[in-house]
Amino acid sequence: MITVNQLSHHFILGKKKQETTLSVLQDISFQVNKGEIVTIVGKSGSGKSTLLNLISGFIRPTEGGIWINDQQVSDLTEAEFADFRLEHMGFIFQSFQLIPSMTAFQNIELPLILKGESESSRKKITLAILEKVGLTEFADHYPSELSGGQQQRVSIARALVLNPPLILADEPTGSLDSETETELLQFIKQLNQEMEITFLIITHDDEVAAIGDRTITISDGRIVEGARSQ
Amino acid sequence: MKIKDQFRFVLQNIKKNKVRTGMTILATAMGCAFLIVLASVGYGLQESIVKDTLEQQIVTEIDIYGHIEEDDNYRSLTMEDIDYLESIDNVNAVTRRNQLRQFPTFSLDDYQSETTAVAAHFPSEVDAGLELDEGRLPEKPNEVVVGYHFLDYFVQDVEDEDIYDEASGEIKDEYLYQADLIGQTLNMTVKKDLDVDGEEQTTPLTVVGILKKPTKEWVQDQNVYISGEVFAGVEAYTGTPGGELGVDGDELDSATVNAFDEVKVYATNLEAVQTIVDELDDSNYASYSVVSEMKQINMLFTIMKAGLILVGTIAILIASIGIYNTMTMAVTERAPDIGIMKAIGANPKTIKQIFLLESSYIGIVGALIGTIVAYLVSFLVNLGLPLIIEFAFQEELPEQLQFSMIPVSLVLISVGICLLVTILSGLRPAKRATQIDVLKAMRREI
Repeated sequence: MITVNQLSHHFILGKKKQETTLSVLQDISFQVNKGEIVTIVGKSGSGKSTLLNLISGFIRPTEGGIWINDQQVSDLTEAEFADFRLEHMGFIFQSFQLIPSMTAFQNIELPLILKGESESSRKKITLAILEKVGLTEFADHYPSELSGGQQQRVSIARALVLNPPLILADEPTGSLDSETETELLQFIKQLNQEMEITFLIITHDDEVAAIGDRTITISDGRIVEGARSQ
Repeated sequence: MKIKDQFRFVLQNIKKNKVRTGMTILATAMGCAFLIVLASVGYGLQESIVKDTLEQQIVTEIDIYGHIEEDDNYRSLTMEDIDYLESIDNVNAVTRRNQLRQFPTFSLDDYQSETTAVAAHFPSEVDAGLELDEGRLPEKPNEVVVGYHFLDYFVQDVEDEDIYDEASGEIKDEYLYQADLIGQTLNMTVKKDLDVDGEEQTTPLTVVGILKKPTKEWVQDQNVYISGEVFAGVEAYTGTPGGELGVDGDELDSATVNAFDEVKVYATNLEAVQTIVDELDDSNYASYSVVSEMKQINMLFTIMKAGLILVGTIAILIASIGIYNTMTMAVTERAPDIGIMKAIGANPKTIKQIFLLESSYIGIVGALIGTIVAYLVSFLVNLGLPLIIEFAFQEELPEQLQFSMIPVSLVLISVGICLLVTILSGLRPAKRATQIDVLKAMRREI
């Protein structure tokens, strides 16, 4: 599903002609199989979020390559990567990243609009997803009118609405209380089993890391454990 | 993403900033209205002048002044030229007239009039549109037709009586010939030389018709239209071309003999006039037509209108600064939303389209309101300005004078300029929106 090969990344910091280079990831190689839940753990500043941003295409690697579904995504242009993301990836963010001026329904409907689905088809799919995440009665609520757990469910619904084969999650339980966290993890496990969705989850929480089929540990920009599947 | 959905996005965004967008639309509308009203003055004046010119002339008429010779002198036109002119495509008629170069006296009983005698070629005159008010056209050499106003000057020969009405300045009715002139015999008296008591010749001519009133209000047709034979008879009597007095016939230039004083070509339609004029130019005939005048008037007004549109465009350019500002603010405010949209898979092209659609929407609505306002202002200007000028300067303006006119072409040009300027001003903010960094936007760092 995902192949990361000899991936390195560094940031250039400072003003022009006084730049310094900060190496964040070095020689990262691993694979994620289809239907796997892989968690990436590491201390703050270890480079795990940068790795997820590289796989998501939000930033470009300095060296190495990334393949998703046998396509080398690290070579795609920004516009091509945007289309690829829409088709193949769903995202769950720590701070939910819902558009505040849109209702729960409209936030979930957004990927369908971007894909050019018809209005009737959008309505049908969105209502079905809302039911799946148990938020039918909150369809017309704005994010500010929802609890953290409900917002995260809207975020998950938005990630699932186009049936992507891969979901990337960055600290998905970071803003949730322990009860909601457990519910969410169970839901992720259920999705993985029922729909065979591959999950790549960045976390520093042991409980989250425990739901993974495999855990990759990163320290100082290098993989120290879990690069190979069992 | 479908255009319909992009438009829904735009409307949602505009709703969020009603006042700011409203003000920008207002500025655009003002710019557009200013442009249209300013240029409409050029269109209005052009329309008035063109209308006035066309009303004064028969549009298919081409005056031929003569043939330009190699030494740049003009040669009067002869029958040979007439034959050539008649052979040109789309020529409906070629009229030729010769005017007696002295004023003969026409008399009947004790009524008389000293007026112009014109020898005309009636078949071509009829083809050119000559119409009779009553009677028929001459068929014999001694038959004549008279102009519509001939009777207004056919006066009883009385001495020591004031024949003019004091109030109107016109000849009193009781001194004018009141009976039917058709069928009556007029005596045409011509002089042989300038001597007051000199020899005279009288020719009896039968009036068979009266011409229709000229279409132009101010034209008075009091001519007597004689035949070529009668004209030739006068020439033979005086021994000079056109019966001119006080010249020696032998000394005259041979070119003026057997030539026509006035030659006019009538085209079949207005579109053919230009082609005929071009052919006449190529054949070295000096001509003048309404098309030549129209060309000059239109050229002048085209330059004027272009200048006015250019000045008006400056107003739209100023309004475009407002659009640029509004769109830049919109991009900055919506940066987090743009970041989220890009993160979940919105193509940069889609983001750009949404913002361009928004600036176009401002432009279209502004142009629409501006056009309505411009029509209103134009109506008020046409209604009020003549009254103000008449009141302020005590001068009456021509009835058909139109200060402002807004044709569809002006609306299209103005809306086009308005749209182009608004799209261009929204281009940079739209491009900026596509360049928003997803991670910075989601961290609310923009």
